[in-house]
Amino acid sequence: MGTELCRSCGSCGFPMRNPDDFAGGDPDAAYCSTCADASGALRPFDVVLQANAEYLVREQGIDLRAARSMANALLASMPAWQERR
Amino acid sequence: MALPGPLPTQRTRQREATRRRLIEAGLRVVADGGFAGASTAAIARATGKAHGTVFVHFPTRDALVAELVAEVGRTMSAQLAAAASGEPSLGAVLEAHLAALAAHEAVYARVLAEASTLPQAARAQVLALQSGIAFRLRAAWSRERARGAVRDLDPVALGNMWIALTNHYLMNRDLFAPGGSVITKCGAALATQFLDLVRT
Ligand SMILES: [Zn+2]
Repeated sequence: MGTELCRSCGSCGFPMRNPDDFAGGDPDAAYCSTCADASGALRPFDVVLQANAEYLVREQGIDLRAARSMANALLASMPAWQERR
Repeated sequence: MALPGPLPTQRTRQREATRRRLIEAGLRVVADGGFAGASTAAIARATGKAHGTVFVHFPTRDALVAELVAEVGRTMSAQLAAAASGEPSLGAVLEAHLAALAAHEAVYARVLAEASTLPQAARAQVLALQSGIAFRLRAAWSRERARGAVRDLDPVALGNMWIALTNHYLMNRDLFAPGGSVITKCGAALATQFLDLVRT
């Protein structure tokens, strides 16, 4: 068990550790494989928002509308989406 | 404009150091008195800086509060990812979560207790962290399920039951472990009890 901390996605904050956590499987990518495409480019906001909301629903069973509102608040606080505020 | 080179670098470094000190002081103030007592004035006082310094780094108190929770969330989720890397057992995921909780217990318990009063970004950070735990629990559960070591149950319920259990002890830490760490005192027993319920 390693104790060194890993990098987190600049869009959603997901901690990236395994190669397939990173966009395009590239360990230098700034974003995770959910938030960016295989070339490392960030996907459109609405796509990332929906994917993050669905993740919250899938893991915790919360209401989809509440999940979208929470995912929106989360993304707004992340470096990748600062300019969108 | 003498010495145009090194000056901005030093200024940037000082600026970053002050920001760090504000965050560290903010976490101490929250650990001691909760978010309700964590005014920008109290946090500035804890760093020995003027009140206005806070607003150089954070436009509003909400922005500072959101950053305090984000700092805890980032550290905890990175610790969890590092400790529970590879294909950990269900027990190893619980242990990694308990270690991350123990490292931030005082502040995290305040976050849980005061969640409804916090800015939405802060609450979203907690939810994201909990999803990370649930995701790892589900993955470990499905590996152990494949070899018949655990019960067949709703994986969402599995995550929510563990989160509810730990949150209950954290939010009542003054009753379960007055003056001390509830995770240190009760964490191992909670993990054992939870595994007893889940295993076949
Ligand atoms: Zn991401």
